[in-house]
Amino acid sequence: MSDTNTGFPLAETVLPQGRGYLDRRSLLRFAVAGVAAGAASRAFAQAPPKRGGRLVIGADADPIGLDPVTLTAFSSYDFTALLYSGLLRWNAEMKVEPDLAISFDQPNDTTYVFKLRSGVTFHNGQPLEAEDVKYTFERILNPASASPNAAIFASIKAVTVVDPLTVRFELHAPNAAFLSYMATNPNGAIVPRGVSDLATKPVGTGPFIFDSYQPNQQFTLKANPKYHEQGLPYLGEVVFRFFKDQASLTSALRSKAVDMTWFKDPKVSAQIVRTSPDLVSAPGKTTRTFPVWMNLKAKPLDDVRVRRAISLATDRKACLETVLGGSGKVGAMVPESHVGGYDGVGDMPYYKTDVAAAKKLLADAGHPNGIDLGDYICVAANPLDVACAQILQQQWAEAGIKVAIKPMETAPLIGLWLKGEFPTLLSIALSWSPDPDAIVSRIVSTSASGKALGMADTELDAMIVEARTLLDRTKRAAAYMAIQRRVAEQAYVLDIYQYPLRWEAWWNYAKGYVPLAANIRTFVRTAWIDK
Amino acid sequence: MRGSMRGCRMTEAASLQAPRRRTTAQVLVTIGLAMMAVLVVVALFGPAIAPYNPTKTSPASLDGPTMAHWLGTDSIGRDVLSRLIVGGRATLLITFVAVAISLAAGLILGLASGYMGGAVDLAIMRVLDVVFAFPVFLLAIAVVAALGPTLGNLILTIAVVYTPTLARVVRGPVLSVKRWDHVEAARSVGIGEFTIAVRHVLPLVISPVLVQTSLTLANTIFTVTALSFLGLGPPPPDPNWGSMLAEARQFMELAPLTVIGPSLAIVFASLTFIVLANGLRDLLDVTAR
Amino acid sequence: MIRMVAVRLLLTAPILLGVSIVAFVLMRALPGDFAQASAGTSTISAEALDTIRRSLGLDLPMWQQYLGWLGAALSGDLGVSFTLRTPVASEIFPRLAVTAELTLIAGLMAGLMGVTTGLLSARLRGMTDWVVRGWNSLLLAVPNFVIATLIVLLFGLYFPSVGIFNYVAFARDPSGNIASLLLPALSLALTVSVTVSENTRAAVLEVSSQDYVMVAKSKGLRPRAILRDYLVRNALTPVVTVTGLQLAALLGGSILIETIFTIPGMGQYLFDSIASRDYPAIQAIVLVASTIVLLMNVLVDIAYARVDARVSYD
Repeated sequence: MSDTNTGFPLAETVLPQGRGYLDRRSLLRFAVAGVAAGAASRAFAQAPPKRGGRLVIGADADPIGLDPVTLTAFSSYDFTALLYSGLLRWNAEMKVEPDLAISFDQPNDTTYVFKLRSGVTFHNGQPLEAEDVKYTFERILNPASASPNAAIFASIKAVTVVDPLTVRFELHAPNAAFLSYMATNPNGAIVPRGVSDLATKPVGTGPFIFDSYQPNQQFTLKANPKYHEQGLPYLGEVVFRFFKDQASLTSALRSKAVDMTWFKDPKVSAQIVRTSPDLVSAPGKTTRTFPVWMNLKAKPLDDVRVRRAISLATDRKACLETVLGGSGKVGAMVPESHVGGYDGVGDMPYYKTDVAAAKKLLADAGHPNGIDLGDYICVAANPLDVACAQILQQQWAEAGIKVAIKPMETAPLIGLWLKGEFPTLLSIALSWSPDPDAIVSRIVSTSASGKALGMADTELDAMIVEARTLLDRTKRAAAYMAIQRRVAEQAYVLDIYQYPLRWEAWWNYAKGYVPLAANIRTFVRTAWIDK
Repeated sequence: MRGSMRGCRMTEAASLQAPRRRTTAQVLVTIGLAMMAVLVVVALFGPAIAPYNPTKTSPASLDGPTMAHWLGTDSIGRDVLSRLIVGGRATLLITFVAVAISLAAGLILGLASGYMGGAVDLAIMRVLDVVFAFPVFLLAIAVVAALGPTLGNLILTIAVVYTPTLARVVRGPVLSVKRWDHVEAARSVGIGEFTIAVRHVLPLVISPVLVQTSLTLANTIFTVTALSFLGLGPPPPDPNWGSMLAEARQFMELAPLTVIGPSLAIVFASLTFIVLANGLRDLLDVTAR
Repeated sequence: MIRMVAVRLLLTAPILLGVSIVAFVLMRALPGDFAQASAGTSTISAEALDTIRRSLGLDLPMWQQYLGWLGAALSGDLGVSFTLRTPVASEIFPRLAVTAELTLIAGLMAGLMGVTTGLLSARLRGMTDWVVRGWNSLLLAVPNFVIATLIVLLFGLYFPSVGIFNYVAFARDPSGNIASLLLPALSLALTVSVTVSENTRAAVLEVSSQDYVMVAKSKGLRPRAILRDYLVRNALTPVVTVTGLQLAALLGGSILIETIFTIPGMGQYLFDSIASRDYPAIQAIVLVASTIVLLMNVLVDIAYARVDARVSYD
């Protein structure tokens, strides 16, 4: 990250206004955010930002719907992040900070009271009130909306309007992930009351207003003159241009048809940044894990010895070196950017490659001559996944474990995975999620996805449920480490490596931009163009 | 891609002196056959010729070209030359088998349609019209998604795609040949219709079919590589030219040879069949309508 | 003649019906549906997925869905896209226009190249003939996506500052729009030009050996005048029809070029719609694309029947 790009000129708005309102815990949280922002704004003071201007972003996928309550596609997040805002948001260090709320109070472990910023209006001129917050969450929780956020916010018992600028959330049980979800766009994005058809005509409180959209061509946003952060955004216009193909995206960036983009493959990113000293590349934090999911319901993977043998036959480091050129880390369930994330070097059970031990375990399990696991399904559209699958195939072959790689279209693959109808092995990478709970909840034996995989470990279930309720960061981190060790020890899921979902790159005349581990471009609001 | 050869309908120049034309035609056919021999040898003995195991990965990715790796290595460190040599196998296997099947199907359908005429003709040709009008990629994607990207499924898809073209090429001449004197003569002495169709009509339509078949082979090379290029080809880790080209595109500025290699291989293979088709057309004096 | 045309046109209706049924059944037989494709890996409950399916009518029996679609399509309503939630018609025709424009530019390029090389080789014969035939064989052997890839490579290596992926809408900037389509059109045109060239050459040779040209020659008309007055007019008819047929093939075959050069045309639309299981969009694209292929076929056959009385249809 270059020093001119760490800009975060928001120190004054970040500091909570109603400080007396906060209890010690949330005060501490906000103070941390404030210090980070202060440090960043000093570095930033070198060059005054320019107003107006147009930022062209090369995007690899069209949005599918722009209503934060109903949308399910990750490709929409880039757009909702600029159109809508929530009560809270993530800062550049991935800490939660206030956004539409100026402060919140937590009278007890299951109650949150948010005080809203006054004078905020939606793009249609409608003022933001506590009723809109209530409306948003009622819409999310209404089954008729079919909102994917319903599962995320299932812990909400009631949302009450205290006064036009105060809203109270009551939860069924303590939930450490609650604030993370509230800070994540689009999950916690607030929508206006009485406005329909947000999917195609979005109306939010975000820094940019929807202007026009031509599918497969471009998506245009204009600056919101009434945006609630003083002086922001600097840009007059943000244009997303769509390039389905990584090779054309590379070329578009090099010819300056776009000012900024991101790449899925670290080698492509490295290649392009090498072509000009004026290109800035941000490696980003590791947010994505590449797991091999196993069908635990049936032979032979119901036998822990076979699973451990696969884990021992795997050389995770070699996968990392070959597929990612070393830009990543060995992975476990939770990526490093999360609370309790695995750092890639710590000791994990059955992580050290040992082909002889793998063969012995297989022999013990009744497969002295090796084993044929049949189809190993992976995502055809992701070249990194397909490449890694081929390396794993070779590594496993050395221990006598045979697989046939079967790349598949994404839609049916997800169907097989969610229903647990894949024969033995299946890989689909997990993208960034707001909280580690979202990742490990998948393997709780009572959840739909856990059942599909054939999980049946009540002890692990208890650990996961407990970790969710731990509000203390250190304790929570320890709990997630323990969960990951258990998963590795039982080899329920074979995590190979973790890496940034996207490698961002931009021309250095685009300033004031900070890439976010969440891979959502919220910091376009602080960016400006200085050509 | 499909049907792009359908335009070759005009007669070859009548004014060329026949002997000279025969000689050049023989030269073309010889060159074509020689090129085909190269392809077949490489396809059959590829793994033995290749300097490395084409699927063996290594951390030395996008390396070269070096003395050890003449065309460098690909994005996961495999030897590009070896993959190129072995990669012809899948492409050619699919091409030959698919064309053989569509040729057989085309002969049967075209012969039945042209010879029997009437309702049979109408029914067969309209069904083939549906196939012809159907987008190739939708069919390919559907088959691959529903049945999996195996060699067999790809062969089946491509065979279906090219059957209408070949059936039409057979049907056209059959329509006129079946009224010729010797056919009438055969009929008058009481030879069965099936025997007439196979013994007396079929041989007379072989020439245009042969020419069209070699053009279809070239087209099939296109389709196979295009489908692999779009990720609908045979599954990894075995190499094939189309997916090699698609993979290499991501890194082409780092390693241009990884793009140029498969491109040249594809061009060589289709050129083989085009040269052959040109030679055969002159040699057999096909005046396809 | 009129009867033949009428019959051919009438026959397209059942063929289109067949195509639409095949497309419909094929897509529904595919594993995965829109709800699943759009949800990706995000945690979404099975109930929520079912609600989405219900709202799109995907819970109805297949035949009901098909008849519903057919009824609407017959009355000119192509349905609402699942992904964009706007009428498919408002998306498909602009894209058809883009692909048609690309194809047209490619057709013009191919026509220009093909007619030039074809005339040269037919008129000059000898060495020129051989050079042209060799050149044509080579062009024919290079698939359009290979040409496109090599063009991209060439620009990436030597002219990285030239934007070759700057597709601009025609309405925004007409000349820029045409400029942005030149390279993609070129990669399509090279192969097509071969067919045009070979047909021009063959047609010129054939026509020049026919009686009326002999008569004209014997009347003492200058060769150039003969060429212009008789040859071109007669020889160009098949050339034009061949180009037309090629254009129909291009409409279906431009998918790779549109992907490589990121042009928002029909090919890309079809590919995206399949990936996201946007059934209304797929049905509409298949319908429109196959209609064009069929109509082009009919047109070409009519043109042939006009040119060559020996061609008959039974």
